[in-house]
Amino acid sequence: MRSKLIYIIFAVGVLMAAILLAICLAETVPDAGGSAHPEIAGLQVGGDGAARLEHIGTLGFAFQCLLLIQITFLSLLGISERYRTNELLAYMGGSLVFMLIVAWQMYSGHLEYLETGETGYFLGFPSATAWATYGTWLGAIPLILIYSLGFRKYIYTAEDEEKFNVLLAEKSERSEQ
Amino acid sequence: MEAFRQEIIVGAVVAYMIFCVLTGLWAMRRTHSSSDFFIAGRGLGPIVVALALFSSTLSGFGFVGGPGLVYSIGVSSFWMVVISSTGYAIGFFLVAKRIRMIAELRDCISLPDIVAARYNSQAVRFMIAITIVLGVMGYLATQILAMAVVMQAILSGTETFANIGLVTCVVISSAVLIFYCVTGGIIASVYTDVVQGAIMMIAGTLILFTAMSVFDGGMQEATSIILADDAETAMPYGAAGMMASLGWFFVFGLGLAGQPHLITKMMMNKNLSDSRSILPMSLFGYVMAALLWISIGIVMRAAVIDGVVDPLALPDDAASVFLSVFANPLLAGVVFAGLFAAIMSTSDAFLNIGTAAIIHDIPKAIRGKSIENELFWARVVTVILAIVAASFALYSHFADATLVAILGAFGWGTFAASIFPVVAVGLNWKGATVAGAVTAIGTALLINFVSQLAGYTFPYGVSGQLVAFATSMVLFIGVSLFTEKPKLDSDIERVMEI
Repeated sequence: MRSKLIYIIFAVGVLMAAILLAICLAETVPDAGGSAHPEIAGLQVGGDGAARLEHIGTLGFAFQCLLLIQITFLSLLGISERYRTNELLAYMGGSLVFMLIVAWQMYSGHLEYLETGETGYFLGFPSATAWATYGTWLGAIPLILIYSLGFRKYIYTAEDEEKFNVLLAEKSERSEQ
Repeated sequence: MEAFRQEIIVGAVVAYMIFCVLTGLWAMRRTHSSSDFFIAGRGLGPIVVALALFSSTLSGFGFVGGPGLVYSIGVSSFWMVVISSTGYAIGFFLVAKRIRMIAELRDCISLPDIVAARYNSQAVRFMIAITIVLGVMGYLATQILAMAVVMQAILSGTETFANIGLVTCVVISSAVLIFYCVTGGIIASVYTDVVQGAIMMIAGTLILFTAMSVFDGGMQEATSIILADDAETAMPYGAAGMMASLGWFFVFGLGLAGQPHLITKMMMNKNLSDSRSILPMSLFGYVMAALLWISIGIVMRAAVIDGVVDPLALPDDAASVFLSVFANPLLAGVVFAGLFAAIMSTSDAFLNIGTAAIIHDIPKAIRGKSIENELFWARVVTVILAIVAASFALYSHFADATLVAILGAFGWGTFAASIFPVVAVGLNWKGATVAGAVTAIGTALLINFVSQLAGYTFPYGVSGQLVAFATSMVLFIGVSLFTEKPKLDSDIERVMEI
């Protein structure tokens, strides 16, 4: 995984493209992308949520999960191969699990509302929407912590700085000649 | 105070514009070379870069189109905002370190410079430069139009300027923008960005509290009203549906690392290690400012459904109507200044990268060297570019009344699909080839433009931008894997190993 990361990213990308194609070819339902509000000009409505998800709900959720997986792998690609230690992979894995939990809470909460017509609220929004809003916003915080707190360990170590300074010194020498 | 509402708002906006002009004059004395003009001589501190980065991200699209989209389609539009944390994280993981190192090592002053160094190819430099110019035209026109529309709304509320035309507003607002961009280049841009960012954060926070007080039950009452009217609009995927939302999640999340006006700023910090603090500071600023996007849209939709406010003539009126109906005049003044700040901070960044592409990169790709006296021509081209974009904006406005928001999103999507694979992935994978890069850029441009111009819509709200981005990613890696592994310059290879 450490050295073949690009192949995994490619495979995930192909899977996502395949899902996208499957969604485009799926049986369509009227107004799947919304329709005009019956009374108020300028507003759109979603209408029948269950019908909109009937043929593509699972595919859409799979696409969402793959996107989160891709985000994690891409972040990992930005870290030099030699720093992709088990410790870092554990942090990245934890971050991914957190994002997947948020996505599941949002999706399953939405399905539950479509079945029951009832929802709780959290900080101003229906529960599923609160997961989407606050959860997604906070979902990347572990990644940001890994970057900021682990900067000198994974991103740009003292050894890296030394190597870069050597490169700059060589450049200066060349320009002086 | 209410009696002087318009005067207060006009006063705040005029004060802000005077500040921009003065900053331009101040920065002019510090701009001695094209490196100063385009990347501030790589001498900026972390707070300046962080504020410049986030204020350039949140454009007029965020202050005008964003609330309008929430008003129109509900929670679907949230996905453009809430993904910002992921977008910034990916941008820093993939781009910040290597772009800064290559910039210093090769004395790069633009994104196409970086790409040319990475791929050792003038063809890739040319294609990225052309992509930037095309995207800048669409995006800059959107910003100028947004600025003029807001200015017209403000001034037409006064007796003296009651009949002011849109063309006049385009001229006034563009003149201020051009002045400080021409005189002070990127130095003026980033220092105005600092103030612009601060205004936007204050505006976003104050607006959230105002929005929460519109209904007795706060934001929960507002979302309950929306839910009762049409549940889907208040649910996670909004009125536009699951795939439209996830499309924005993809394009705005990954795509942030493909926005040239943003990643160019990652070349400007004085110390490479500052990136560790720039990331959280940028994100914090963005989140504070983006509160306005969500809160205004939700409250205005609920207010219209509840009959508190008449239906809006256009969704893009959501912010201005909210401010005139619900906000204290002083707050309205701050927010309108913040709105201009948001628009100008993005516009100046676009003017800067567009100018660099025209006078530095395209000549270099064709002739193998830049033009003489770059600084002079940079100033001339900045003026011309702004005038052409303003004309394009007016033409678009009078010939086709498309939402400001859609134009803005189109610009973002074009950059995301064309630049993300080539830059963000390419800087971290030695196997990326020129053939892969050219294929990815060409495909992204083709799908984006054809789907937009032909008005083709995919089923289930899948956007052309999403299709373009997903396709260009797969083709970039796929074609690179199947073409001969490139031989990198020694210094670039060593940078990519760090």
